[in-house]
Amino acid sequence: MEIFRVEDLNFTYPDCSKNAVSDVNFSINKGEFIVLCGSTGSGKSTLLRLLKPELSPNGKGSGNIIFHDTPLSECSGRQSASSIGFVMQNPEQQIVTDKVWHELAFGLENLGVPVAEISRKVAETASFFGIGKWYGQNTADLSGGQKQLLNLASVLVMSPEIIILDEPTAQLDPIAASEFINALKRLNEELSLTVIIAEHRLEDVVPICDRIMVMNGGKLIFNGEPRKIFTEIKGDSPVLRSLPAAARLYGMTGGIDDCPLTVREGRKYIENTFKNDITALSVTSSDQVKKETALEFKNVRFRYSRDGEDILRDLSFSVSTGEVFCILGGNGCGKTTSLKLASDLATPYSGVIKVFGKKLKEYKNRSLYKECLSLLPQDVQTVFLCDSVREELDKCRADISSLPFDISDLLDMHPYDLSGGEQQATALARILASKPKLLLMDEPTKGLDADWKAKMKDILEGLKEQNVTVVIVTHDIEFAAECADRCAMFFDGKIVSEGTPEEFFSANSFYTTAVSRMTRDMYENIVTVPQAVKICSLNGRKDGEHDSH
Amino acid sequence: MVRFHDLNPAVIAIWFFAVTGTAMFCSYPVICFLTLLGGVLLFAIRNGKKHLKTHLFFLILYVILTLANPLISHNGKTVLFVMNDNPVTLEALLYGLNSATMLTGVLYLFRSFTQIMTSEKLLYITSVLSPKISMVLSMAIRYVPLFSRQGQKVSDTQKAMGLYTDDNIVDDITGRMRIFSSVSTWALENGIVTADSMAARGYGTGRRTALKRFPFGRTDVVFLALTIAFTGTVALAAAHGSYIFDFYPSVSGIHPDLVGKAGLAAFFLLVIMPVIKETEAIIRWRYLESKI
Repeated sequence: MEIFRVEDLNFTYPDCSKNAVSDVNFSINKGEFIVLCGSTGSGKSTLLRLLKPELSPNGKGSGNIIFHDTPLSECSGRQSASSIGFVMQNPEQQIVTDKVWHELAFGLENLGVPVAEISRKVAETASFFGIGKWYGQNTADLSGGQKQLLNLASVLVMSPEIIILDEPTAQLDPIAASEFINALKRLNEELSLTVIIAEHRLEDVVPICDRIMVMNGGKLIFNGEPRKIFTEIKGDSPVLRSLPAAARLYGMTGGIDDCPLTVREGRKYIENTFKNDITALSVTSSDQVKKETALEFKNVRFRYSRDGEDILRDLSFSVSTGEVFCILGGNGCGKTTSLKLASDLATPYSGVIKVFGKKLKEYKNRSLYKECLSLLPQDVQTVFLCDSVREELDKCRADISSLPFDISDLLDMHPYDLSGGEQQATALARILASKPKLLLMDEPTKGLDADWKAKMKDILEGLKEQNVTVVIVTHDIEFAAECADRCAMFFDGKIVSEGTPEEFFSANSFYTTAVSRMTRDMYENIVTVPQAVKICSLNGRKDGEHDSH
Repeated sequence: MVRFHDLNPAVIAIWFFAVTGTAMFCSYPVICFLTLLGGVLLFAIRNGKKHLKTHLFFLILYVILTLANPLISHNGKTVLFVMNDNPVTLEALLYGLNSATMLTGVLYLFRSFTQIMTSEKLLYITSVLSPKISMVLSMAIRYVPLFSRQGQKVSDTQKAMGLYTDDNIVDDITGRMRIFSSVSTWALENGIVTADSMAARGYGTGRRTALKRFPFGRTDVVFLALTIAFTGTVALAAAHGSYIFDFYPSVSGIHPDLVGKAGLAAFFLLVIMPVIKETEAIIRWRYLESKI
């Protein structure tokens, strides 16, 4: 049964010459799970919002959107509110009320549903999502993942026929993101709910979706099964960069059959396709010159309140100058707290922290923050105090020509109107103005698409050339594997293991990159897609199509 | 086994206003004393041995309030002694004692009231009056912790970026003002998302209903009826003129008539009702536990 039919849809924002959405045709059937992807600004959000009358942007449009055989514009407010659910990106701001139960009831209250029925539906939904435990809590006390699950539940309580999600996991850590995607999968499988989701992180959603739609410059350039994506899109399209590692590897090694999507399929693909005569890449070992220490933690202990538990227990590590050091680990294990301590925003109750050999206490009169240390926070919106990027940069006398990236075309925008990646870059420009020798970054890839992640990698390279030491706290394993000099795993308030990405990720069996999990029995120390592509081409295909050595 | 704080919030609120209202309007010594007694008992039975500091604070307050009046007011016939050429009278002391008793009693009750009435219960009461006001209040309450949390985050970020260039006060104050304006912008900008989220879930499409988490049961009916009956009796007695009482020039009217006595008995019962409810719950639990 067809739920939505979109015919020749065009849409232009006011004062824009280019179409945000142009000549889009597709239909959505009941029970389908569709992933919509494309880089930032490709028109995904606009398209999704056009499917929800309450959120449709202002502008000029043409074409038809047909919902259940009637044009969408003729649907009543009540019908579209209840049968088309919409979940947005920011978990915090979508929540309206102060209590979890009230949030769940909100939609039904708006429709004037009798109280007895609200109670029943709220109870049902809360049990389905396992919200029962935090039903009476304040919404402000929930974690990001719980908030987003609550947003999903409070849309679902209105029993929609289709649910539209606009990058719902962008602000979540990978574990919360997988949980969220799993909840969607359950809804789709158990209740045959129709789902259309826009995503950057395709690792989790692509294996479970029925169809993938790819947008580029407002046009729909692919609409079909994920396994067939390489038949239509060739070359180095940004969309391909955000596909699961197995699919990327397949694309870059020129695979022929159906494209693998999961780690298991990827592994099978490598085993069946490539020889394993050469098991490791020759490592160009950099000569171990003893460098000066940039940041040092020695037996640091910290807790937030006297009666609280220790957040950091005997934390010790050191970072040498010019290094990119990535700290990985689960939620709430103290990663962000350690950055706070390093930047003197909180003080440990025992232990010593030294920055460039000097104790933090010895940096008098806030000299620590002048040409020495800077912190890029997780929430980059907290960096901006002005109404335009230009003011923001003028105030701190930033010289944008000396930056390792280009933001000159953003100068007249309001910082809040920028995309996630642009905000990140602007915040970084603002922070680099104080010429830090030690840069601390908290989750720099949160909410970024593949394009911006690649740019972030270049930025880090640029910083390294200027001999800036970078300490990154991140959940993003793939990013750490590609850009770090050294990685460390944080657990239970201290660092439990560390090493170069190759050593570190090969030694881990769960907490490691998809490529490492795919290649572990065949090759040694392969952790990133480029490395895997290299070793595969060195070994050559089993059928001997192009034997390269 | 309904405890006092499990009653319907409206019933609890009516009880509190009935007791404190009577105490403040009558300020008759016995009523003031009963208010204090009820207030202390309710607070003590709910909190046990905790909050010793609160008791200490109220004790000190009580003494200060009692002693303040005879030092300021010098009315009254019976002079106890002369201090700095001013007479200190027994009547003024008793007046001070009476108002201290009343005030401390009411403050004890309010302390329990704030413990029992969570924001959710207050919202419930407003939602009975108007669902719309309650909705707006609920959103406002949500924003308070969000706002302060964001403020702290911005402050940390800006500190680590060197917003405050030196350790000086002027710089700190201008910095804080900029943070405040930034958080306001943040709230407005992100408010758009909240508005979208409300529209997406059909806000404003028609009449709203309000899900209520607090049922109105048999115990509530009984408790409410008793509250009204007892308060009514006291009010009748007061209207009858049983509680006319003077401290100056000398204490008079301490012996109430029959109506007055009936009113006092009713007030005693009114004040003690929650304590009985709590005690009943405690005893029942003991009994049930002894059977396990």
